[in-house]
Amino acid sequence: MPMASQTGRNEGAVGGSVLRLDRVSKFYGAKVALDDVSLTVPDNAYVALLGASGSGKTVLLRTIAGFETLDRGVITLKGKPVNEVPAHRRAIGFVFQNFALFPHLSVVDNVAFGLKNAPGVKLDARAIDTKVRAMIELVGLSGLEGRAVTAISGGQRQRVALARTLVTEPQLVLLDEPLGALDANLRSRMCGELRRIRERLGVTFLHVTGSETEALAMGDQVIVLDQGRIAQIGQPDEVYTRPLDARVARFLNCYNLIEGRVEGRGFATEGRLLPCAQIGPAGAEIYALRQDLIEVAPPAQGPNEGPRLPVTFVASEYSGPSITSFFKLPSGAVITVENHLSHRDPQVFEPGRSYDLTWKVDDALILARGTGARA
Amino acid sequence: MHAPVLKPILAVYTALFLLFLYGPLLVLAILSFQSGPEGGPQFPIVEWSTYWYRDLFGLNPPSRIAPLPISDGLVRSLALALMTTVVSTVLGVMSAQAFRQKFTGSGFVFYLIVLGMMVPGVLVGLGTALLANSFGIDRHWWGTAFVLHVVYTFPFAFLVMLAIFNRFDPTIEEAAWSLGVPPGRTFRKVTFPLIFPGVLSAMLFCFTLSYDEFARTLFASGRDLTLPLAIYGTFAVEIHPNIFAFGVLTTLFSLALLGIYAILMSLSVRRAQRVLVQEEA
Amino acid sequence: MTALPTTTATAAAEASSNKRSRTPYLLIAPGVIWMLLFLVLPILMMVYVSFWTQTTFKIEPILTTKSWQTFFASDTYLGALWTTVRIWLIVLAATLLVGYPTALFVGLFVRNKTTATALLVLCVIPFWTSFLIRVLAWRPMLGKEGAINIILQHLHIVSQPIDALLFTELSVVIGMTQIYCVFMVGPIAFMLGRIDPSLIEAARDLGAGFGRIFRTIIFPLSLPGVVVGAIFVSVMVLGEFATAAALSGRKVNLLGNIIVTQVGSLKWAFAAVAGVVLTVIMGVVVAALLRLVDLKREL
Repeated sequence: MPMASQTGRNEGAVGGSVLRLDRVSKFYGAKVALDDVSLTVPDNAYVALLGASGSGKTVLLRTIAGFETLDRGVITLKGKPVNEVPAHRRAIGFVFQNFALFPHLSVVDNVAFGLKNAPGVKLDARAIDTKVRAMIELVGLSGLEGRAVTAISGGQRQRVALARTLVTEPQLVLLDEPLGALDANLRSRMCGELRRIRERLGVTFLHVTGSETEALAMGDQVIVLDQGRIAQIGQPDEVYTRPLDARVARFLNCYNLIEGRVEGRGFATEGRLLPCAQIGPAGAEIYALRQDLIEVAPPAQGPNEGPRLPVTFVASEYSGPSITSFFKLPSGAVITVENHLSHRDPQVFEPGRSYDLTWKVDDALILARGTGARA
Repeated sequence: MHAPVLKPILAVYTALFLLFLYGPLLVLAILSFQSGPEGGPQFPIVEWSTYWYRDLFGLNPPSRIAPLPISDGLVRSLALALMTTVVSTVLGVMSAQAFRQKFTGSGFVFYLIVLGMMVPGVLVGLGTALLANSFGIDRHWWGTAFVLHVVYTFPFAFLVMLAIFNRFDPTIEEAAWSLGVPPGRTFRKVTFPLIFPGVLSAMLFCFTLSYDEFARTLFASGRDLTLPLAIYGTFAVEIHPNIFAFGVLTTLFSLALLGIYAILMSLSVRRAQRVLVQEEA
Repeated sequence: MTALPTTTATAAAEASSNKRSRTPYLLIAPGVIWMLLFLVLPILMMVYVSFWTQTTFKIEPILTTKSWQTFFASDTYLGALWTTVRIWLIVLAATLLVGYPTALFVGLFVRNKTTATALLVLCVIPFWTSFLIRVLAWRPMLGKEGAINIILQHLHIVSQPIDALLFTELSVVIGMTQIYCVFMVGPIAFMLGRIDPSLIEAARDLGAGFGRIFRTIIFPLSLPGVVVGAIFVSVMVLGEFATAAALSGRKVNLLGNIIVTQVGSLKWAFAAVAGVVLTVIMGVVVAALLRLVDLKREL
């Protein structure tokens, strides 16, 4: 599968790319919304764009769509620069977080709107009708054609928004937190649906989300955006297991980040020197430890080799398939340990008692804080 | 707070206030049923009659009292109000649409437009008359007076549309663009249907204001009188209850217009509600 | 792939943002041109013509201050100026006094939104009667055989009908107060309606009487409404001439009436002078009122 990549690192991706951004910047007065963003989105792929609120992810999407102008840089669609092409001639679909359906039109008229009103479409009424019915069927809205869009549920509205966009056969579909307005149950179902529909049509989805689980589950590639800059681009497992810096790791919500510094061949923290497999990049001062890769043992037990930290047990939280336990380091920092119940029976810890945390030296990452991490 | 005492006092005061507002109109309505042609525009009522209403429509035998010169004026006023409504609403929608984007000089433009409703009719009327004179332009109700009616009503349409666009969700238009529909067509097919209730309000404003306008018209129209000018002309001479009857009829006409507007609005609201009820069902 | 020169990219981006920002100007242009041609230009013309030379039946564009000298030397004109200012101040005070209690009731004491709206609509309905008819309606009210005199005699408050009610300055003030007080009620009620009731509750819990609460909380918070109302009333009263023409029997001459009569006798330059004086008064009044309260912050 082609890789979403930071342009310049992966020159070969251009041939199969639908969208390329070259050093795109956008300012609102003195505020930098997008800071020198370059990326390539491959053809026929599901790309997830992950970022916290205020990271610039929605601005990035709106800039690509042509709703916002950019202050610097070039956006290229299928090899053609589109900086000056207005939104309606970019052939980019957009699915809004609030769906933005046409409230005065029925379901079928919403879906048919683009085909009926776009000047580029050369289809007669029968052909439009056939396409619209097929699309309504594909997204599972059959039977609701005549309903007003204000008279259907949130999930159904989401499907109308999707059908309305897909029926115009855009080269690229931008989805702005498309699941944000749905409840949790519906969200997980729509995740699967979105993937299925995209694979059927072979179109590229660029899906913006603030949820790391959604991004990791949906994307063939994941782009992590932080404070207007690209923090990392990679495949989901790569981003998950090898976050580039502490910002990305913090964002993934499954890493313990321990402050300290590299000393010789170890990492000095909590008055100890933890052994490291690799030294990490220059200026690295964060020891990142995935929550599900930590073993808990009574003091002075467990494996003799490898890194070890003494902790005090605080509390546990049961969350269905796993148990999350919280331990306190001597410095007061809290370490989170996740135990999947499918692996073994839950361990029972006593509050206030001391334990030792151990892990494989290869599992720990030494990370820099991240260049974008301004105060 | 002495609310228990104060509230009823203020309630009574408000009732008196409403009496103050409506009293003259009630007296006017009562006197419009004065007998004619001898009965004058004052109490006591000699005999109840609809003489003066018939007088308005020329149904009475000729008497010493000249009929109100209103029929031509009525036609002119309606035509003028209609022209004004169309132009002012179009200008109002366009300007408010422009204000949806930030642009340099927007503050100046805002005050320039609002000035149109603030500057008294005497002043613009006089200025326009002077301007027309020195350029040798004839003054007509459909020319010089019409442009001033637009100067007066366009700000109201602009402010109404500004309020409407404030509550308008722009992503709906962006959705249409992203489907390949150009901005012009998007406006016709999406924006306009959605702002239509607001446009209707703006039109109602413009129509009633223009229909009743007379200070600007007095200076800027030529010989042909509009309805308010015809009424103003009666100020100088003796008045008769026919003008009261006319006042009652025009009020009823205005209220009927207001009623039609209310019905149109509640229809569109009810359509929205019916949709909501379906959703809950 | 970063080979694309940044300068080209910047130029392209600037071009596209220029293109987009042109749309509002195109949309606003017709309205702005209309206002400049038919609002600003006439006002400027009025100022210009006030310096023209007036002969008995025509004016010539020969610049002179003679009309201005005549205006400020004439008792009639100065009298009209003084009457205009006096009537304006009296009507302003009257609309405030008459309107404020109603606004207080609607905005503060009626806590039911529907009732408050209904009361305001009730205040606005008379506006659907022609302005001139509403002015004229005061004649059968105030006349010697008018409704008020009849009621007063019936109640034996007076034995003889009061003459002074109609065709005096009083009738003009009464008429204007009735016609314009709603413009005072609306903005004040709006501001009062925004006062958080808990604020007044808190003050009452601290033992403040209504007078004190009114002085320290209610009135200051309603002040922006008073200013907006005062601007409306001032602008309309200062530009008035019809009410005076209909109800004063030509005894009250406002600057507006002067303009109408001067135009009627083709004394354009004098009319223009009166117009400019009126414009200046209005500008000063509105500027002073706006200085009283920072409306942009309050509304």
